[in-house]
Amino acid sequence: MGIWYIIKKLKIMKTILTVIAIGLIGIVAISCSPERAALVEGKSGVQLWGETCMRCHSTPSPADFNDTDWSTIEMHMRVRANLTADESKKIFDFIKSAN
Amino acid sequence: MKRIILPLIAIFFVGIVYAQQEDKPSKTQFMIRGYGSAGFQSLNDEGEKESSFNSGTFAPIILFKFSDKFMFETELEFAYENGELETALEYANVMYSLNDYMTIRAGKFLLPFGTFMERLHPSWINKLSSVPLGFGHDGIVPSSGVGVELRGAFDVYGSKFNYALYSTNGPKLNDGSMEPDEAGILHFDNYEDNNKNKSLGGRLGYLPFTDSSVELGFSFLNSKVGNSDSDYENVGAKLIAYDFTFIKKINPLGGIIDIRAQYNQSIVDDANYYEPDGLGGSEEYTFNNKSDSFYAQLSYKPTTSSSNFIKNLEFVGRYSELNTPEGAEWETNQNQTAFGINYWLSWRSAIKVNYQITDGTGGHGGGLIDKKQFTIQWAFGI
Ligand code: HEC
Repeated sequence: MGIWYIIKKLKIMKTILTVIAIGLIGIVAISCSPERAALVEGKSGVQLWGETCMRCHSTPSPADFNDTDWSTIEMHMRVRANLTADESKKIFDFIKSAN
Repeated sequence: MKRIILPLIAIFFVGIVYAQQEDKPSKTQFMIRGYGSAGFQSLNDEGEKESSFNSGTFAPIILFKFSDKFMFETELEFAYENGELETALEYANVMYSLNDYMTIRAGKFLLPFGTFMERLHPSWINKLSSVPLGFGHDGIVPSSGVGVELRGAFDVYGSKFNYALYSTNGPKLNDGSMEPDEAGILHFDNYEDNNKNKSLGGRLGYLPFTDSSVELGFSFLNSKVGNSDSDYENVGAKLIAYDFTFIKKINPLGGIIDIRAQYNQSIVDDANYYEPDGLGGSEEYTFNNKSDSFYAQLSYKPTTSSSNFIKNLEFVGRYSELNTPEGAEWETNQNQTAFGINYWLSWRSAIKVNYQITDGTGGHGGGLIDKKQFTIQWAFGI
């Protein structure tokens, strides 16, 4: 295993990393657009509830807890699940209106 | 000792406010939740068979909300193992929300190192009754830490990012002076720091799509791990993890497809360790202290089926792998395939029927590993 071998390996690694980096920047560029921002902003609480809460566990139904408990869970989940403030407000407003 | 004191303080604390709540209504909110499991397992370890009912585990969780910004959470874990009741404090921390994008936490918390330990390990969330190789006991992945953390989430033109940055007491190197068999292993459960150096860790998560179906994550944890004033004082460790999540209800497939994967790597600086030679002396040795582990899991839940029975079923497959350093006393190369069928009784309760095959070399007994395990577990949240 000579020095050339190592250099070659490093070059391959560098190429792979560059490809991944360009790919990621590409995804970020495509996925960040004002139209999409508007789409996200326009999402309703019930829609977000359907998409978001199943990301880690089965989705609880609004009837599972009362409003007081839901507001405790709201803070717990917002922090644990890294929900954005907007997401969590919409979802839990919907849940509390529907139980 | 702290293991006992912290939970007691927590319960005492909660007791006081709970008592106050009865006198006059306040904004303080309090909830006891938790989860548990019980089951049966049959193990075939290189032809040796054993089967047993296990009384399982119970983990109460106390959530305590003081105001819209300030909250305390704690989880205790009770497990009845080998005739003994084992208790552990999984986490106990206070969190304060500084603004929409930042929350600060202090105490003992689950580490956002990848997603498995922080988000998926509770038995009512984990789709199989075991954890992937590399996690849990004898694992190489940190699960919790004592320290402070800043975390939050924000969106940028329709894509979401979340972040966590923390400093904890950090992992501790087992230098082998007490347990020569474990020389070079990292231990993660440190209530007291073994050196002045705090660890620095974090995770960045990225959800490219507006429906949150995909999340990519990168985590790191850097720390000095040796005891201060020892030969190992300057030994450091670098841990990284990549995680991937895809979860989406796909109508043509009639249900929810859920794919998860996490790769973990741990690199500890080279150091010299000593192995007793059986004659009262010892022999010095070293090795390239690099470990890694990986898991990928696919599951499918036919939620749109018209049959109430089929709707509640779930099919799961998981592959995992663990490789620890060559030349270490704890050298092992293992891989594991696990399959499961779950029946969901509610959103927080499932009967899991699993079959799991583990192959490889090394581990505790040394030699070949050939284990086949069948388990039935009932997991429930309360
Ligand atoms: C990123 C992962 C994740 C997401 C997304 C998530 N949860 Fe959770 N949830 C958890 C974990 C982990 C627990 C278990 C907490 C524990 O045991 O420490 C939990 C527990 C719960 C509980 C039990 C009570 C409690 O607070 O512990 C409820 C109710 C709940 N989640 C509701 C929701 C709702 C509603 C949503 C959608 C807004 C949601 N969760 C989204 C990870 C998540």
